[in-house]
Amino acid sequence: MKYLTLLVYKMNKRKLSVAILIFFSGLTPLLFGAEEIEPYNDRYCTTCHGTDGRGNFGVQAPRLAGMEAWYLKRQLENFREGIRGYHPEDIEGLAMQPMAEKLTNESILDILEWVESWEYFPAEVTIEGDAAAGELIYSQCATCHGAEAEGNEALGAPALSGQNDWYLITQLKNFKQGLRGGESTDPFGQQMMVMTQILADENAMDNVVSYINTLGR
Amino acid sequence: MIILERSLEIASNMLIASFREKLMPKLVTRREFLNLLGSAGGTSATLKAGSALGLLPAASIANSLDLLALGPNKKKVAILGGGLSGLTVAYELGKLGYECTILEASHRCGGRIFTVRNGDLIDEIGNRQYCDFDDDPHMYFNGGAARIPSFHNNLLSYCKELGIELEVFVGENNNAYFQDDALLGGKRVRVNDYKTNIRGFMGEMLAKSMSEQEMDEPLTEREAENLLSIIRSFGDLGESDLYTGSSRNGYKSGGYISHGVQKDMIAFRDLLQSELGRRALTAYEGDQGPCLLQAKGGMDNITNGFLRKVEDRVKYRAMVSSINVSNDGVEVTYDQDGARHLLQADYCFSCIPTHLITGLDHNFPSDYVKAMKYVRRGDAYKAAFQAKERFWERENIYGGITKMAGRSADIWYPSHGIHQNKGVILAAYNFRGGSYHTNMSQQERIESHIKDGEKIHPNYRDLVEKPVTIAWHRINHMLGCAARWNRNFGGWTQEEEFMFDTLQTPLNGRHYVIGDQISVNVAWMESAIRSAHWALEDLDKRVRSELA
Ligand SMILES: Cc1cc2nc3c(=O)[nH]c(=O)nc-3n(C[C@H](O)[C@H](O)[C@H](O)COP(=O)(O)OP(=O)(O)OC[C@H]3O[C@@H](n4cnc5c(N)ncnc54)[C@H](O)[C@@H]3O)c2cc1C
Repeated sequence: MKYLTLLVYKMNKRKLSVAILIFFSGLTPLLFGAEEIEPYNDRYCTTCHGTDGRGNFGVQAPRLAGMEAWYLKRQLENFREGIRGYHPEDIEGLAMQPMAEKLTNESILDILEWVESWEYFPAEVTIEGDAAAGELIYSQCATCHGAEAEGNEALGAPALSGQNDWYLITQLKNFKQGLRGGESTDPFGQQMMVMTQILADENAMDNVVSYINTLGR
Repeated sequence: MIILERSLEIASNMLIASFREKLMPKLVTRREFLNLLGSAGGTSATLKAGSALGLLPAASIANSLDLLALGPNKKKVAILGGGLSGLTVAYELGKLGYECTILEASHRCGGRIFTVRNGDLIDEIGNRQYCDFDDDPHMYFNGGAARIPSFHNNLLSYCKELGIELEVFVGENNNAYFQDDALLGGKRVRVNDYKTNIRGFMGEMLAKSMSEQEMDEPLTEREAENLLSIIRSFGDLGESDLYTGSSRNGYKSGGYISHGVQKDMIAFRDLLQSELGRRALTAYEGDQGPCLLQAKGGMDNITNGFLRKVEDRVKYRAMVSSINVSNDGVEVTYDQDGARHLLQADYCFSCIPTHLITGLDHNFPSDYVKAMKYVRRGDAYKAAFQAKERFWERENIYGGITKMAGRSADIWYPSHGIHQNKGVILAAYNFRGGSYHTNMSQQERIESHIKDGEKIHPNYRDLVEKPVTIAWHRINHMLGCAARWNRNFGGWTQEEEFMFDTLQTPLNGRHYVIGDQISVNVAWMESAIRSAHWALEDLDKRVRSELA
């Protein structure tokens, strides 16, 4: 019983129902997650996010270096709560979610500190769009994200300049299709879900991201 | 054996040809089917075609490397990743006097050669597990590589050279099961029952078509007779070439002291309800065909065999962070114990998966990076249970594989530890569709394997415990298995060939990408070794001309 309580404590709603199901179907003798033996901490980030958190196209993991601590913290917490990385088609989000689920408040702080220590290098430009057309669209984004895409903590809007452009595209698509931002406890995500509807198609996304690329960092 | 395979091939060609041309759109009776087969007129063509078996990559004798020893010269080599190809390079170059350093990010070498035993860490990102199997020598599970085809000569010759003991791995087992909800109401069926019956019906049709049809191929009478007798024995046909059941799949009862009572036939139509049928006669061919071998005591004994020779060259938990290639060498940095270190070398061999190299700091040219970005990563998935007793042996199963239509796909019974009290069975192996389970929580994964397994073994839920799951897509420092180069059916495009060549060619003659990822037959240890040998031979040419 102690075991079940522990599980419940650690789980979000979806997983809780599975746990209960398993509990009553008599699976309790199946133990998993034995005690820790290897001397590991939760500093796993660079396997996916690349050297010094530069981002890795190969596994579609975004740049963490240069990301604002307050924004990174919010996202880690969102993943932990399961309000991000919940949709079956959000492949990368699904991979991030269980990692974040394991994080304690202390290890989140530890990770933020680690990320702060990374030097920022400019991201490679990989998207070809019409930056002039994108500038027109971006004027609406600028309200929150700032004219230079530098972000605005007071409004909860992260910097966009300097992020990997392919990652920005993925997230715009995710928001637009409701793979991200669909949970009522994620007000910022919900806002983005609405805002991305102004992007008519993938061309428009390429254009706006190409404009963001011109803002440099 | 060849003749049987050959006639099988002809048979299947005939069937396929007539199916394609005539059959697909409408329903036909068995009688009509025979007529169609007879009138397909494809026999002479198919007899001429099918000349090559064309299944296996050319088997050759083990590559005997003829590499130049350095003598008084000195060369430093950085080996990135302690996968099998990296270890091969370290071992071979060590013999020649090169000074090698292996940087391995993980706590262990071997990469995708991974045997799980009591106390072992399964370092899945977000789902770290420790294996809790009983601490006995036979209680292990090969979570990565598990079988060695008997013609993977380079691997086999290293096993011999390094004193790695081998034993037989049973893959095909007629006493294992097929299970598909669409087949006989989901009832498990012995592979043997399925095979015997489907062969019987196929043989009957072939025999009929031979006798009813005028062969336009000028076979001699003797050839024709032989072909007919092959077909008859293929199907175990009775009088008038009718299939009326067989004793090949055992008896319902008797057979030793009293006469055997033949089992009931499974209706032809019933056999055709499952897609597993496709695998009934051909699941175990090529790389997966008998005789297969495994390393005694666990596949990681292969890694250990190499490590006995090069262990002192390995730095563990040393994660490569940058690679800079110049005209006269390579500079590598790596993170270990919270600090960044520099390693300078004349040459560099990297078996780090390409999808992870792209996240490192590097000075690679754009075509090199483009090729790396192109390769996609596979999502192979395995799971295992400790079995409290060897219940499969009570069902006459010793080793081998049960195939399920359910997503857990396979159950593998251990070939080792026969008649011991307990054993470890593979509960799931999904090589191409592993994301299905990867995206589940640990509890959901286990429940799914139990549900699938219960359809085969009653009381499965009570008979198994201590699960481990290995989602290669999320294993730390691997994040995939195996490289996927070509994206379309119908082979490699020219562009793909070009990108492959680009990555295979050493950058500035200094930086080699190796591993099964630089082969066209991925996910085999032999391919990892062959790739290492290719690189070593290329290096050798360069060093010879430099020292000449
Ligand atoms: C499920 C599964 C089943 C398989 N079945 C078979 C089989 O039955 N028979 C068979 O012959 N083969 C099989 N294989 C394939 C076989 O395991 C591989 O082909 C072979 O082991 C690959 O060796 P490699 O040299 O390419 O290196 P890998 O095994 O890919 O090793 C790469 C190494 O690089 C390290 N690394 C990663 N990033 C860094 C970094 N930044 N710095 C330093 N090191 C790093 C990793 O930790 C790892 O040790 C299977 C594989 C899997 C996953």
